Amino acid sequence: MMKVVALAGNPNVGKTTIFNELTGMRQHVGNWPGVTVEKKEGILEYKGEKFLVVDLPGTYSLTAHSVDELVARDFLLKGSADVVVDVVDATALMRNLFLTMEIFEMGLKNTVIALNKIDLAEKRGIEIDARKMEAVLGVPVIPLNAKEGIGIKELKKKIYEVAHRKTRVEPIIPRYDPAIEREIEHISTVLKHTELAEKYSLRWLAIKLLMRDEEVIKLVLRYLGSEKLNEIMGHIGEVEERYKRAMDLMIASQKYEFVDSLMHRFMRYRFEQGETFSDQLDRILTHPVYGLLALFAVFYLMFKFIFAFGMPLQGMLDDAFSSFGQWLAPQIASETLRGLLVDGVIAGVGAVLSFFPLVFLLFLVMAFLEDVGYMARAAVVMERMMRKFGLPGKSLIPLVLAFGCNVPAVMGTRTLDEEKDRIVTMLINPLIPCSARLSVISFLAGAFFKENQALVAVSIYAVAILLALLMAWVFSRFLVGGETSPFIIELPEYLVPSWKTVIIHSWERSKEFVKKAGTIILAGSIAIWYLSNYPSVIGSGRSYAERIGMFFEPYVRLMGLDWKAAVSLLFGIIAKENVISTYGVLYGSREAIINAMVPLQAYVLGLVTTLYIPCIATIGAIKAEAGWKWAMFTVVYMIGLASVVGIITYHAALALGF
Amino acid sequence: MDMIVPLNSLKPGEKGMVVNILGGAGARQRLVAMGLTPGATIHVIESHPFGPIILSVSGTRFAIGRRLAGKVMVRKL
Repeated sequence: MMKVVALAGNPNVGKTTIFNELTGMRQHVGNWPGVTVEKKEGILEYKGEKFLVVDLPGTYSLTAHSVDELVARDFLLKGSADVVVDVVDATALMRNLFLTMEIFEMGLKNTVIALNKIDLAEKRGIEIDARKMEAVLGVPVIPLNAKEGIGIKELKKKIYEVAHRKTRVEPIIPRYDPAIEREIEHISTVLKHTELAEKYSLRWLAIKLLMRDEEVIKLVLRYLGSEKLNEIMGHIGEVEERYKRAMDLMIASQKYEFVDSLMHRFMRYRFEQGETFSDQLDRILTHPVYGLLALFAVFYLMFKFIFAFGMPLQGMLDDAFSSFGQWLAPQIASETLRGLLVDGVIAGVGAVLSFFPLVFLLFLVMAFLEDVGYMARAAVVMERMMRKFGLPGKSLIPLVLAFGCNVPAVMGTRTLDEEKDRIVTMLINPLIPCSARLSVISFLAGAFFKENQALVAVSIYAVAILLALLMAWVFSRFLVGGETSPFIIELPEYLVPSWKTVIIHSWERSKEFVKKAGTIILAGSIAIWYLSNYPSVIGSGRSYAERIGMFFEPYVRLMGLDWKAAVSLLFGIIAKENVISTYGVLYGSREAIINAMVPLQAYVLGLVTTLYIPCIATIGAIKAEAGWKWAMFTVVYMIGLASVVGIITYHAALALGF
Repeated sequence: MDMIVPLNSLKPGEKGMVVNILGGAGARQRLVAMGLTPGATIHVIESHPFGPIILSVSGTRFAIGRRLAGKVMVRKL
């Protein structure tokens, strides 16, 4: 069996860069079982031996308050790792060593500290003696500048040594006030006679019980029974009463004091750094007015870049696939097989892959902005506004992504801390018109409203965005339970990004998109082909597609639309741009479409297309991130919303004499 | 002078030492893990009405929501 190396550490410490340096391109991105936390694994090879490297979620501590922390903690607690690499940011030692102490407290004796960003620390006047640090902490300390690859070789060597028990690791354990130590002692004695003693560090369990950790309480309850547990918890209450402080607060501040007392032995400030360049930049970028302007500018440039490079690539791939289909078609004798392959499979794969450049560029820009440090600032600027609608500032990012494509946007909700925020952002996400819907809206606006083209398009966007905000407010208030996340975010120093990290990250992400969305788009494409060719080809009035359209006609008639619109909307579920192309097939030409509808109908069709149902790939993404329940809910509420808006718009416009 | 005030009342440039954190365990532990713990010195860098406050704790910059900042009690330095 391969030995396992786990990477733990705070967010923004360069953990991903170290992970990439250790594993190269040999990595795999998936999910931790049962939760939507990203799990990254890779292979490290050293001296002919292979190690499985697992990147744990970046966390500031190991409490049971977030999924990320629980995932990381459970992994360490189960002893799943042979070596734990604790990545520590040399420029923020105090806070980083807090997590280190939490790891040490678990009783693990296989930790290596990767002291990253030593170059930056030096610039800021922080002098760290790694040898002394090693002696004080009792674990190996490897200084690194991971972005330049400095120290990676030494880290690999140390991992190898610790994995083979060639290096002694005796981590120092934080000590607390006599009063707290007494409690720890007392609880440990009670727990000593249970089976827990074989599996866990009793000291760790005792400390977590003192902090009223829900998961640990549940665990201890199983082994100790409620009577003894209540006795312990009651006693903790008495101590808190005596000190007039919550126990977890006392433990945490004493842990910091402990870290502080250690730090003096191996680090010193050569000079005190005043205001940094980052601070000056933040004065503008987090400002309520200038910050907002800067945000618009950044997002404008982002889309400009994505479309300037992505659109031509998408077109090229599209053409390549259709020429391949045209070339292949005459070579297949069987008509059914030809249809299935050319119109179903190749068209489907083509649709998926032609999305790839856009999705990749989207992720690339996002990863770049994240790595530079700008995303945290964008969240600060938006926090002011989004909070009114029940959304955290951070949800702006996935919502902006949605203008490009809802699929990566849904996946982007992972960056949000609270389950509640993730769900609400995911639910309203498909209301934001993606680029496929832009093509429908702009076609209809251009064809039917020559004079007010822009106004019409903008009005549809405005309706969609307002509805998204309204629904966010409704959902966060009445539907999705859970705590509103308290807003606190680290503003990492602005940095030149590591290109390797940015590119690997966006490549992995977009690959995952293709895998996830791919199968579902492919299946949808085959379904379209079938419905429009059996029992008779579409246009004949006898295909399944047309029959389904006619079945729904009484319903869409309420919005002033006919069965052809129903068929188009049905195929639009596969991909929104199908709405127009299906119309094209049904009417034979684009001119015929213009003659067949009045502007009001076109407007309603544009509105309904924008709102009515997420495309199949988006449904798939929501299912993957939040489960079938929420995916189905999104479908149902959006159909409802689109119907209401469509019917009201149609009848209101008629009543007003349009 | 012993003045204990909520963090969100400090003005840019002012400093305070955390003495206590009120509120539920969830918010409290998140603050604590990021270094806002009793004894820590906080330096307020930016504070605009209605928006998050930007502060520095042992060299790291944070943005913290006004409501959450109201739960951090500091002694003005």
